[in-house]
Amino acid sequence: MSAFHSTKPGFDFSNANRNAFLEGKGVKMPKATSTGTTIVGCLFKDGIVLGADTRATAGEIVADKNCEKIHYISESIRCCGAGTAADTEFITALISSNIELHALSTGRKPRVVTAMTMLKQRLFQHQGHIGAALVLGGVDATGAHLFTVAPHGSTDKLPYVTMGSGSLAAMAVFESGWRPNLERAEALQLVVAAISAGIFNDLGSGSNVDACVITATETEMLRNYVMPNVRVEKERKYGFRRGTTAWTREKVRDLIVSEEIRPIAVIAGGEEMDTS
Amino acid sequence: MPDMSAIVNPQQRQFNPYAENGGTILAIAGADFTVIAGDTRQSEGYSIQTRYAPKVFRLTDRAVLAVNGFAADGNMFVKKVKQRLEWYRHAHAKDMPLRAIARLIQTMLYAQRFFPYYVYNILGGIEEDGTGAVYSFDPVGSYERETCRAAGAAQSLVQPFLDNQIYFKNQTAAQGSPHPAHLPLPDVLSIVIDSFTSATERHIEVGDGLEMYIVLARGRTLPDAVAGLRPQELPSAGGEKVFVLKRDLKKD
Amino acid sequence: MFLTRSEYDRGVNTFSPEGRLFQVEYAIEAIKLGSTTVGIRTPHGVVLGVEKRVQSPLLEASSIEKIMEIDTHLGCAMSGLTADARTIVDHARVTAQNHAFTYDERIKVESVTQAVCDLALRFGESVHDEDAMMSRPFGVALLIAGTDELGPQLYHTDPSGTFVRYDAKAIGSGSEAAQSELQDKWHSQMSLTEAQVLVLRVLKQVMEEKLDQHNVQLAQVTTDKGFHILNERELKEVIDTM
Repeated sequence: MSAFHSTKPGFDFSNANRNAFLEGKGVKMPKATSTGTTIVGCLFKDGIVLGADTRATAGEIVADKNCEKIHYISESIRCCGAGTAADTEFITALISSNIELHALSTGRKPRVVTAMTMLKQRLFQHQGHIGAALVLGGVDATGAHLFTVAPHGSTDKLPYVTMGSGSLAAMAVFESGWRPNLERAEALQLVVAAISAGIFNDLGSGSNVDACVITATETEMLRNYVMPNVRVEKERKYGFRRGTTAWTREKVRDLIVSEEIRPIAVIAGGEEMDTS
Repeated sequence: MPDMSAIVNPQQRQFNPYAENGGTILAIAGADFTVIAGDTRQSEGYSIQTRYAPKVFRLTDRAVLAVNGFAADGNMFVKKVKQRLEWYRHAHAKDMPLRAIARLIQTMLYAQRFFPYYVYNILGGIEEDGTGAVYSFDPVGSYERETCRAAGAAQSLVQPFLDNQIYFKNQTAAQGSPHPAHLPLPDVLSIVIDSFTSATERHIEVGDGLEMYIVLARGRTLPDAVAGLRPQELPSAGGEKVFVLKRDLKKD
Repeated sequence: MFLTRSEYDRGVNTFSPEGRLFQVEYAIEAIKLGSTTVGIRTPHGVVLGVEKRVQSPLLEASSIEKIMEIDTHLGCAMSGLTADARTIVDHARVTAQNHAFTYDERIKVESVTQAVCDLALRFGESVHDEDAMMSRPFGVALLIAGTDELGPQLYHTDPSGTFVRYDAKAIGSGSEAAQSELQDKWHSQMSLTEAQVLVLRVLKQVMEEKLDQHNVQLAQVTTDKGFHILNERELKEVIDTM
């Protein structure tokens, strides 16, 4: 009986068995990259506010304490990236290029749905191997739009969204604080609170709050809008005395090349060049 | 017909009794004192379970134990060590000496050789001869007396720093002024604080709070520079003194 | 069930109406039949001495073992049923080794004495799944000598499991006379040699035979050299200085 016609209840583990078999044969399985990040976006009266923390991690080590996770797509469209850093940076740069070309060839300002569609198609094509989890937001001719794009290409259109390992902490803030038609200041404050929740409660997120306010008239990139985690001063000075590093061999080389210039003798009887 | 799929495709499942709860500990021995420290964050995965879970415990008037790894095992282990110390006090009418505690910890850890306590221990305190001492252990009881040791999540960040600053590794001494075998207490404390603030910057599992225990040998008093930090003195029977110094660490 | 007065000395764990455990008391009596054993504590160490009863010229005197090592810093001398002492010394040795293994330090003299006394009372009927115990009290008393962080110490244990610390103590058949002699002669600043001589003098007084290097045994526990049984040459040297 083929599996297709099987009437047995419960889960079908045939794929798990196949994968285990392949893995046993040495086939590398796709590794789920943990997204150590908090990124958010929310709708307000006049547009969109995006937010992100600034911590980049390599495993449990902090690789960058102040990286930028809100990427440029177009003047009025920005995209926050969580997941594999290289993937989020590349895919947003690529779509940004294509959006620019698209705008040029159509002669219109780009729309958020266009960027969203380009992103999801690219991600779907690669079947999740591009580890980019995105929050895309912007304002265009049709209004303000906010999307999430998951690594496999699925998208959601919502009034407030969060992504990354700190998404639950941030969403908790949105669920309790978001309401329609927020004022700009209120929305910004809410985004800061959501990112802060991620920074302080999720180990994958940390350092500063970046924010970006997009309205029909202007886009304000608020880099390091809040810096609640300034490094404390060290107790000691860690300078080293000259001569601290041991050496095994000493060789002094003269780098000055000296040369003697001897003018060529004037040919006897010849006339000197008239240089006057 | 019976369901044969379970027989044809056996599925193995396993329960993992251990967890890794992050955090870092360290201890540095001076000539007549020892500093034992640990951060207070307890985490699992990307979540903080608590911002204040002590990892450093006073055992006797002259012994302090820092425990790192699987928090449940660590707490149970400290509980059992304390119980053994109490029994010893009743049986032998004295506090267990530091080196005896070190050996006891080895036997207790090795007793669990095939289902180990998933913990790294660092024992610090004052030896019978009045010198500062640090003993470090692996989870199944291999141990060694050292001058300093870091363990836990940020061991790979802190130990090289201590090797350089305490043992003066990769530092050639100036002509006529050899490196000291032991540093004074204020210097050691500042190195401990810098170790933890630095580990907090670059390791996601380190942070929230710092607890430093200072054990002073008989007849020693705190230098003014340290007394100025207002450490809390723990009650002791006289002789050796134990102080706790607490600091905040970043909470992100 | 009514027990007649004489029946109270049957069971090893039955108190008499006067509150006595006859079997234990009889065991203590057995010690008084044993050879005389003396111990003296000085600030430098403890000296133990025993009388060896050589009942026959065919008996190999060196095979009589009444002073035994427990650990490098601990020794004991016995009087009474010496066979019972083997069990006790075995237990003491295991306790001392266990302590060294677990704590990386020498066990205290009092602690090893306590361990021995814990064993002394493990007689009587065993309870349900417990291992079978000894059927009667030990018939031996010990003088346990040793050094630790509290200095040289001498302990006396008897079959009742009681232990007491002494500066000088005699047990066995001649103990009464020996003890009063010790009380006269002991002083707190004795040298080790003085103590050796005093032990031999006391033994000599209570022995029927003439004391020589074959019918006495001497041992000492000192702070720096630990437990040591004097060999015949060393013993003879002390005897000669008497």
